[in-house]
Amino acid sequence: MRGDRLFITVMLGPALIILALFYLWPMVENLRVSFTDLTLLRLRVGGQWIGLANYEEFLTSPETGRLMMNTFIWLTAISVAVRLLLGLAIALIVNTPLVRHLKLATIARIAILVPWATPPVVAIIIWRWLLEAPDGALNTVLVTLGIIDTPIAFLSDLRTVWPSVIAIVVWNTVPLIALSLLASLQAVPADLYEAAELDGASRSAKFWHITLPFLKPTMVVLGLTSVFWTFNNFVYVWLATGAGPGTFTNVLATEIYIRSFVDFRLGYGAAIGIVMALIMAVFGYFYFRMIGRRQIEEVL
Amino acid sequence: MTLASSPVSGKPAATSHWHRRMVSGPGRLFEPLLILAGLLAILFALVYPMVFILVGSFKAQGGLLASATAFTWANYITLFSGGFGRFLVNSLVICVAATALSTLVSVNAAYVFSRFRFRGKGLIFGSVLFGQMFPWIVLVNPLFILLTQAGFTNSYTGMIFCYTAISIPFSVYMLTGYLATVPRELDEAALIDGASRYQVVWRIVFPVLMPGIVSTATYAFMLCWTEYLFALAFLTKPAVQTLPIGLYQLFGDDRADWGAVMAASVITTIPTLLLFLPLQARLSAGLTAGAVK
Repeated sequence: MRGDRLFITVMLGPALIILALFYLWPMVENLRVSFTDLTLLRLRVGGQWIGLANYEEFLTSPETGRLMMNTFIWLTAISVAVRLLLGLAIALIVNTPLVRHLKLATIARIAILVPWATPPVVAIIIWRWLLEAPDGALNTVLVTLGIIDTPIAFLSDLRTVWPSVIAIVVWNTVPLIALSLLASLQAVPADLYEAAELDGASRSAKFWHITLPFLKPTMVVLGLTSVFWTFNNFVYVWLATGAGPGTFTNVLATEIYIRSFVDFRLGYGAAIGIVMALIMAVFGYFYFRMIGRRQIEEVL
Repeated sequence: MTLASSPVSGKPAATSHWHRRMVSGPGRLFEPLLILAGLLAILFALVYPMVFILVGSFKAQGGLLASATAFTWANYITLFSGGFGRFLVNSLVICVAATALSTLVSVNAAYVFSRFRFRGKGLIFGSVLFGQMFPWIVLVNPLFILLTQAGFTNSYTGMIFCYTAISIPFSVYMLTGYLATVPRELDEAALIDGASRYQVVWRIVFPVLMPGIVSTATYAFMLCWTEYLFALAFLTKPAVQTLPIGLYQLFGDDRADWGAVMAASVITTIPTLLLFLPLQARLSAGLTAGAVK
């Protein structure tokens, strides 16, 4: 119908125009800039076309290997794995009959909410204070208990800096996982457990064969969502360590920022951005193949 | 959408399970103690940092070592007399405007997605969703150029549109999900009664959809309120900077006034905590909607 088509255009138009202006256009512009030597200081003059030189420089740079390792393994894989496991543990504990019997579940839910509602900037400030040497809270406790002799500068010691950053990310983001898994746990039909008990199933058998399969879809969605959310994240590494000590904790997102706005090399930063977007596109392809299509079908 | 709908569904079986354990003797006491210890450890780790900040913000100099125990508003007074109110106002203006705009635009788009069939619909919807996994850092560079050329750096307008853009993908997704729960018969009945399509959306569907809209808007507001990267890149003048930037500058000084930093952290966190508390069950459900059925 003609009227319907007009209606669809008018209703959908503004959203699509904004998205095109703020995602599509910048992406095309980014692609163009990535082939130039544009710098922040010559923004008005424009850059010279230099072909694939930026990409070549990035891909052959000796730093790139560690950059990838940091982004894929430390920031993304490990922190998402820790988050899922810890979230599951929290959900299981809050969901135990004992906790519900003592009516502690509501208190627990509100407590879980606190880190979630804490803006990342605040979370980072708090944790930097907790981890600070020599008189941060953690050092004070560890030294007093005699676990360590001398305070550790957690965020500048190479051995502790990544675990510290991950601790901050996990603290701030585990609530969403815990609350979602808690909701799923409470939706497991009780008669499944009853039937298993009649069959004499052990507790671990019930966990592996009933609870875990039931939670799996939620865990997959939460895991994949966390992956792209964390992979793209800039703020934790930047504010916790400034990509340091040196460039030890540098990740793709902070590298783009440093190259573009510290070194002023917008062209080079843009090239890294394209690499990053390509990685996300590949990830997005698998995401939509695995669960995205089903999600879309169920929503539409 | 029903992820958190029945928080007590497992209860009867679980309770009897617990009773059986209770009567099975003191040898079993170890396990409950372990669970309680675990729970306590979790609650402590999750809440202590924020409680510490809250308490510290009311002590002189932050009272880090608990030497000064007297309650005082001094940190808050110092903070606001130092011009921190400016950041709060900036954040409020930008985030409220962006949330309103993104909700308005997203309700319209979601309505079309949920009620109409048209060519390329799946592709368009998928592309909108893809926005959720887009690395924002990649956008900063070209948007900076665009905003500079258009004269929109250091302006409310530029930020409002940026934040609207980053809120739209999940807002459309969540709202389309909520709309699926609003019966189409409602629309049809109104159309038969002679209402126009626009009237159906804003007079009939909008009120019914209100709970979903509130959740979505809350989440959009949170996203803007805590956003750091765009604000860092596009707002260089203190007169327009937002709370996260103002707060981190306060902290980044070599000799940070801890009392002021704590007070500023509390001010930055309170709105999100207050908004989140009543909505938490619905939010955690909405975010993983559709995937868990």
